[in-house]
Amino acid sequence: MAEYNKPIPVPSAESKPYWDGLREHKLMMPRCDACANYWFPPSLLCPRCNSAKWTWTAASGRGRVFSYVVYHRVYHPGFADEVPYAVAVIELDEGPRMISNVIGVAPDKLVCDMKVEIAYQPITEAITLPKFKPVGA
Amino acid sequence: MNALRDKYAIVGTGKSRLGQVGVNSLGLLEEAIKNALDEAGLTNKDVDGVVVRGADDIYSHHQQVAARLGVNASFSTSLDNGGASQILSIILAVMAIESGLATTVVCGYGRDSWSRTHDKSGAGLAQNDLIPAAQRPREHGPEFGHFGAVAHHAFGARRHMFEYGTTREDFAAIAMAFREHALRNPDAVMKKPMTIDDYFRARLIVDPFGLFDCSLNTDGAGAVVVTSSERARSLRQKPVLIKGFASHNNTKGWILEDHMVSTGAVESGERAFRMAGLGPRDVDTAQIYDCFTYMVLTQLEDYGFCKKGEGGAFARLGALRLDGELPCNTSGGQLSEAHVEGMLQIVEGARQLQGVYGPDRQVPDAEIALISGHGGNQVCHSTLILGKA
Repeated sequence: MAEYNKPIPVPSAESKPYWDGLREHKLMMPRCDACANYWFPPSLLCPRCNSAKWTWTAASGRGRVFSYVVYHRVYHPGFADEVPYAVAVIELDEGPRMISNVIGVAPDKLVCDMKVEIAYQPITEAITLPKFKPVGA
Repeated sequence: MNALRDKYAIVGTGKSRLGQVGVNSLGLLEEAIKNALDEAGLTNKDVDGVVVRGADDIYSHHQQVAARLGVNASFSTSLDNGGASQILSIILAVMAIESGLATTVVCGYGRDSWSRTHDKSGAGLAQNDLIPAAQRPREHGPEFGHFGAVAHHAFGARRHMFEYGTTREDFAAIAMAFREHALRNPDAVMKKPMTIDDYFRARLIVDPFGLFDCSLNTDGAGAVVVTSSERARSLRQKPVLIKGFASHNNTKGWILEDHMVSTGAVESGERAFRMAGLGPRDVDTAQIYDCFTYMVLTQLEDYGFCKKGEGGAFARLGALRLDGELPCNTSGGQLSEAHVEGMLQIVEGARQLQGVYGPDRQVPDAEIALISGHGGNQVCHSTLILGKA
């Protein structure tokens, strides 16, 4: 297998528990103790009510493709052999939206609002990426 | 009536050379500001305010611009609202003059993207690298192959296509209308006509955007001089009155709520129209921030020039052409004149109201112009409504 040459995420102090969770195949999201809001990416206060009291909570890993684009241009050498490839905005059932890829679907078969579920993809010992696949695939 | 309506004016406009100039952004700004001051019949001795923006990695941009102009400014700052900054610079100029902090403010934007991406010394940058490395995300994007502004905006385009049935033919109509305008503008970088076949034959960048959905990679600067309408009466140029302005920022994030398909033009436009005492039907020409074709389409809807979801049909039926219902981006815009983050669209709006152009390029009887600024990756928005004096 060729050496992994795509960008490897650099966790921040705020996002470390998120990346730690992914390694154990859990999609951890900040959830506000006061107003039950989930949000992403992680930050110190709930963006809805600004409460500082919140808890890392496992999300269902289910959601929908809110939107997607298909990269034809190579912006990073790690993706040179993959164009055209799709990047999606996934909306989790819990509310947060995140950038990811949908695996197992050709870019021209993607549609908005397609139901998806998480597929964990380890890339290093420390980092597992949250990718998504069509529900039931 | 709003107390600030018509109280301030643009008294001079200027451009630098545009395209493949080979001068850095500060030098380009010098050219544009000097041209604007000359047009106003003013000199650096008259300037006491500087509000500018330029390349993101230039430290304290306004200090360097003011130093080159030889100005000790009572009000001087740089802005950070992306393509919304240029109208915001005029808003700040008005606020500064109104509060007594300055009397005559130069507002400008300069960029040297073409030079930076074509540097032969080996220091040349890829286009996305124009954003300093320390400002680029290190997680939640690049690991999935997501890089830069084209895709950010393409996500919105795709969702709009899904929700409203918008098509790439609609985007093509926008690109073609602006190209047709550029052919009438000797300053415009793009000199060749564009057919629908040209549009669809062009390579895809980030689908649904192809090459001609994306604004140009150019060097260039623009500048305007703002002062009170009272003072403007004694100056050389016929002033252009500042009738209304506003801003709105979808700062919760481009990815959230309905921000991909609805811009800050909704709130910003409503407030700017109210300040001006006008509505969309009063606008004779619109200069809409066109970083990408789709962004024009959605802003036209958000300003109320057509209904939400009908921007595509509005463009396809010819509304944006010089002889259309709403002549739009009459210089060619950033898609076909040059990408100067909206500053040239302020220049164009003002000049249309001054009536300086020949019949092939002039919007007949133009009295009201609406100009939009949009940036910070689909987050920041600003609106300027100008009127003939």
